[in-house]
Amino acid sequence: MGLPLYGAQDDPGPSFLAYAQREGLVSLATGPEALSPHATTVVALRYAGGVVMVGDRQATANYVASRDVRKIEAADRFTALAISGSAARGMEFIRMAQLSFEHYEKMTDTALSLEGKANYLSPIIQRNNLGSPLVVIPLLAGWDPSHRRGRVFEYDGAGGCYERQDFTTIGSGSPFAESALRLGFRADLSLEEALDLGALALYEAGDNDPATGGPDFVRGIYPMMVVLDERGFTELANDDVAARFRAIQERRAATSGVAGGTLR
Amino acid sequence: MSNYFYVSPQQLINDRAEFAQKGIARGRSILAAIYDVGVVMVAENPSASLNKISEIYDRIAFAGVGRYNEFDRLREAGIRWADGTGFTYSREDVDARALANYYAQHIGDMFTEGPKPLEVEILVAQLGGTLRPTKLYRVAYEGTLTDEPHFAVLGGDAETIRSRFEASEAEPDGLATTLRHAVAALAGPERTIPVEDLEVCILEDRGGRRTFARLSDAEVATLLTE
Repeated sequence: MGLPLYGAQDDPGPSFLAYAQREGLVSLATGPEALSPHATTVVALRYAGGVVMVGDRQATANYVASRDVRKIEAADRFTALAISGSAARGMEFIRMAQLSFEHYEKMTDTALSLEGKANYLSPIIQRNNLGSPLVVIPLLAGWDPSHRRGRVFEYDGAGGCYERQDFTTIGSGSPFAESALRLGFRADLSLEEALDLGALALYEAGDNDPATGGPDFVRGIYPMMVVLDERGFTELANDDVAARFRAIQERRAATSGVAGGTLR
Repeated sequence: MSNYFYVSPQQLINDRAEFAQKGIARGRSILAAIYDVGVVMVAENPSASLNKISEIYDRIAFAGVGRYNEFDRLREAGIRWADGTGFTYSREDVDARALANYYAQHIGDMFTEGPKPLEVEILVAQLGGTLRPTKLYRVAYEGTLTDEPHFAVLGGDAETIRSRFEASEAEPDGLATTLRHAVAALAGPERTIPVEDLEVCILEDRGGRRTFARLSDAEVATLLTE
């Protein structure tokens, strides 16, 4: 790769995607969907001080392809990205997004706004999903330093970006996770309540959806839990996550697997 | 019918060098120095938004003197090259020496073949780690690439500043001391540079992947009084 110098008329600007496409660093080859394992369920919900995200760790391709995939990644200090759908395209998508936000910051000496990041991802999703069967549905959540609140953005298959005021879910376990969130969500959730509700929603998805990996007590692999607040991106320690899922498991075991009329 | 005038290559190079030197001498100088745990770059820059020093990659920084539009385009090309290389291969494959070589080739080509030489001098600094050593690569207006072992001065007044800094700091010291020496060397004995006219950036390991930091006026003032 030589030195990428451009004239003022054909300069790709601070967009890494524009530069990468121009130089052929990314391609959009298509092929059968079965080539790539699938990543599944992630939930994101707002609480008073930010956003909580919980994601399972399983990748599925008719069999369990991997039990410890990370589907939530920090895109930068205040932003997290999660993916569902084709694992290959999803990982490339996360890499492209992470790099793009950093590239923009280095080129212009200013960070992109959270809404700017959300909009930037739309054409990437559109280009991928309308041009190939290896569909990716992302989720963007973060602390917005200029508006001082947590924000959640969901995408449809064609790249449409929608901000949600409450919560959103992606992946095959969505219907089950969403049901739990719909019953348990309040606008004034505390951080602890939001973490417990998010964990419960993911537990429900793992319980009902064969492609979603719930807590794996045998291997000690638990869903990822992430908090985004004014201090930035924090991932909960494995022990903390294990304790939350063990508590749910014990409550359920005591009532023979029935939630028992309360959200627990 | 056109008239050919013979110009000796020596004359051509002298003329072009003089032109580039004049352009570079119009701006203020930059001093970059290795300190005990990092690299500090100090520029005299009255503008708070038109930067001379910038982050290129996790452990690589850029500094330029001379014409702003010319070195800023080189800076952007460096960021693109580094991000593109890291995306194609791996983050650890992005090497400052390779980038400095590209800069040297381009600036050298422009010096001999361009419509006019670039009126810039640039520095590519790399913070060492487990894979690579700490390095300061300086590229002069005619494309000469030098690897400076301790510190580098860019700009018109380089020789005077170089001897002032050399006299005060024989070998790498702590950040506060090195910064004080650098500012004193840039200013000279007759004047002091106000903190708001200083652009100070460092490369230093702080636990994260990225090591570049732009120091605020308050941070610079604190360091200078330490």
